[in-house]
Amino acid sequence: MQKKIAITALVPPELIYACGCKPFDVNNVIPFSKKYPRNKLCAWTAIWQEMLSKREIKIDSLIVVAGGDCHNALVDGQKVAMSGIPTHFFFYPFDGSSEYLESQFQKVSDFLGGIKAPEKPEEIMELKKIGLQIDKKRAAGKLTSGDTFRILISFSDLASDLDTFRETISLIRETDIKINNRIALIGVPPIYPDFHDVAQSLGLDVIFDELPFEFIRHSGRDIQTIARDYCNYTFARPLDFRIKFLQKELKKRNVDGIIHYTQFSCHHMLEDDILRSNLDYPMLTIQGDLPGNTPEQIKLRLEAFREALERS
Amino acid sequence: MIGLDVGSTTAKKVSIEDGEIKYEITDTHNWKDLITGIDGKDIISTGYFRNTVPHHASVTEITAAIYGVRHYFPDADVIVDIGGQDTKVIDIRKNNFTINDKCSAGTGAFLEFVANYFKIELTEMGSYHIRAKRIPAINNTCGVFALSEMISQLVAGYSKEEVIAGMHYAFARRISFMIPEAESLVLIGGTVKNKGMVSALCDILKKKVFVPDEPQIVNALGALKYFS
Ligand SMILES: Nc1ncnc2c1ncn2[C@@H]1O[C@H](COP(=O)(O)OP(=O)(O)OP(=O)(O)O)[C@@H](O)[C@H]1O
Ligand code: SF4
Ligand SMILES: [Mg+2]
Repeated sequence: MQKKIAITALVPPELIYACGCKPFDVNNVIPFSKKYPRNKLCAWTAIWQEMLSKREIKIDSLIVVAGGDCHNALVDGQKVAMSGIPTHFFFYPFDGSSEYLESQFQKVSDFLGGIKAPEKPEEIMELKKIGLQIDKKRAAGKLTSGDTFRILISFSDLASDLDTFRETISLIRETDIKINNRIALIGVPPIYPDFHDVAQSLGLDVIFDELPFEFIRHSGRDIQTIARDYCNYTFARPLDFRIKFLQKELKKRNVDGIIHYTQFSCHHMLEDDILRSNLDYPMLTIQGDLPGNTPEQIKLRLEAFREALERS
Repeated sequence: MIGLDVGSTTAKKVSIEDGEIKYEITDTHNWKDLITGIDGKDIISTGYFRNTVPHHASVTEITAAIYGVRHYFPDADVIVDIGGQDTKVIDIRKNNFTINDKCSAGTGAFLEFVANYFKIELTEMGSYHIRAKRIPAINNTCGVFALSEMISQLVAGYSKEEVIAGMHYAFARRISFMIPEAESLVLIGGTVKNKGMVSALCDILKKKVFVPDEPQIVNALGALKYFS
């Protein structure tokens, strides 16, 4: 039986599959959750913490991305560990050292019992190539914003099964979309499952999703090459590194405006003014909290942002 | 053609007849009374209920505010709309806006609560403010805590007038955090009819502050202007 390994943020699925396990990104279920967690800061971590501690999601062990990502996850991860689930804490290097990252990956591999399926990373590499094409097609108006987002975000765990996932992405249907406003969605992904569809219906076509793009752009064949690539995971690096990367991607995609999605009680909110002063595009900042469909107050902001883009 | 702004708290109707602005204001739940005999295709709507009321076209309050304010102050840089349930700050120069709808301390409903507590009319809040001899410091920027602090100030011996003035200052300080650098700003929305609040805001911001004669109808006027 393949072990099911929960992950709280980007842990190379290449590595988990290579260890003969199947990754499960706990964030996937959260937008659909109806939970009102106790003692909550960020709803993302609070909800997975509660679901894992109460065994509402069946997993064998947990890998928490603690360093270079999120301190709320570090604390909530420890709560899960204390509830009795075997848990490993994983740290990205701030300075991008691939040697350090390699040692971290080695520890993940040891935690998972070592490499058993060394051919898996290669298979994932092929799938990520398709992911990059999907991303390009959306920017060209061939795929809807929401369909593309749902596929790209699933690249964090590839639906816990490579064959199923390959099947799913082969089913995506091309259409012709009239793009009204080319929008880059930066920050953490929205906690509202209908967000991309709502934005598109209001004339804001998300053609770039910052975090999901990280899920498809890194790969590698073995621990060493995976480390060399993932050390450029922008969210774990200093802000100027991330900003330079964004400037390049946004220019390439010819975007008209940016939506900066932040989450209540998340440190990423502190980045808002820096991003605003370094990214020369009209920018709308929104802050989500509990999961559910996009609330009216946020729809108002989206609609007003569309009007603002059309005024400029 | 009429501009109809159905907000969270009140509904406003504006029409322009022979170059003169005519308006009517009522509570939101009575909005239908404003449009008896008026066809949907003659209505440009705005406000929270813009898409639920009959309309020929709708526009958000943000854009409506810009068009409405321009009628009175063509060179305005920054608009602050303090309504019943939220405060919206629009930076026209940067084509940027922020909405505070999370913190009750920055909304008209907060001052309504204060008025209710003292069993006085909202319209009297301004005259109480002027009579205050001292201004108690209300430090909390959170609405709920500010209300409990208000009660401790009464216990400490401050008069009703002084505590009301203190609450206007607490309110104004909360709003001032949202306001960008600018030489002047235009205030609109029902809450800015409260002269005590406006005077506290002027004192804190030390900026030129302009208020249209009837600040509550500016968005309804703006909706109308936007489509004509
Ligand atoms: N004369 C007055 N003095 C003081 N406050 C007043 C006066 N008239 C109205 N208000 C306040 O104005 C508020 C309503 O303002 P407005 O009509 O701009 O709100 P709204 O557009 O319905 O709300 P929102 O924009 O938040 O949806 C009420 O909360 C009321 O307290
Ligand atoms: S939204 Fe912010 S606080 Fe929440 S899990 Fe993500 S990084 Fe952590
Ligand atoms: Mg209003």
